[in-house]
Amino acid sequence: MKPTERFKRRYISFSLSLSGKPPAYQEAKEMVHSHFLSFFGESGVSSLAFKLVKYDAPSGRGILRCERSRADEAIFCMACLSSWKGAVARLEPLSTSGTIKRL
Amino acid sequence: MDIVRFEPLSGEGAGRALPVSSLSNFFESANALAAKQVCRKKNSLLHAGNYEVDEGDLLELARAGGALVFSFSDLLPESGFRRAIIISKMRLALAACRKRGTGFVFATLAKDASQMRGARELSAFAAVLGATDVERKEAEKNMARLACGAAKPKGQTQSNLSKVPSASGISPPSAKKVGK
Repeated sequence: MKPTERFKRRYISFSLSLSGKPPAYQEAKEMVHSHFLSFFGESGVSSLAFKLVKYDAPSGRGILRCERSRADEAIFCMACLSSWKGAVARLEPLSTSGTIKRL
Repeated sequence: MDIVRFEPLSGEGAGRALPVSSLSNFFESANALAAKQVCRKKNSLLHAGNYEVDEGDLLELARAGGALVFSFSDLLPESGFRRAIIISKMRLALAACRKRGTGFVFATLAKDASQMRGARELSAFAAVLGATDVERKEAEKNMARLACGAAKPKGQTQSNLSKVPSASGISPPSAKKVGK
């Protein structure tokens, strides 16, 4: 498939915290995946082209990918995360870009 | 969009801030009857907790130059199906505002620091509810007009505004509650 025929991507950098501290990689991955799945559903996640690209556990910073036309929905979904397993959680979007390099 | 006035930033950030809910023209309505009374007041910011505002009331609110407040903090305590219902009600309310020419604003109305959200997140919130780019900018202008321009905070004048106690992102529960 030609690059022009593929879906257009947006990369969103984020900062993740659980009870004020950055969670470990596995926990962060589980948290982000289950939150997006509960918000969008299986069909929604597939059409969103969602992927957790990168996550740095010590700093709590990471990058996720979504489809260009649905970047607002992805950011809204991130903003809706307020708790995880009874603890205060925050998934804060930092910046949006079309390339990982520019984030 | 939420904190409408703050002192010049010091090294510790925005120390003295004024949330929307502390403005003199901000009203929370518990039911439709209470909302009807508020809609007649000039330049009022109406937050209807259940987002079930009558279209006639919206028309009166538009005539009085007021705006309907869409709050992000209404979504946060809910999850799953209940959150979906609230988003749906907000979408319907926004469509009704558009139909009747009523202004609207987007705010967090945060009750504690964990409920605070950034401008980009509020913009995404507005986009999800169906507001266009033009309407989002119009909402910011509405906020500037109603919160910064005409209205003064409760019990404050423009001259002693700097003496407002520090909010630090926490909204004092001082909003006028109508209909309780």
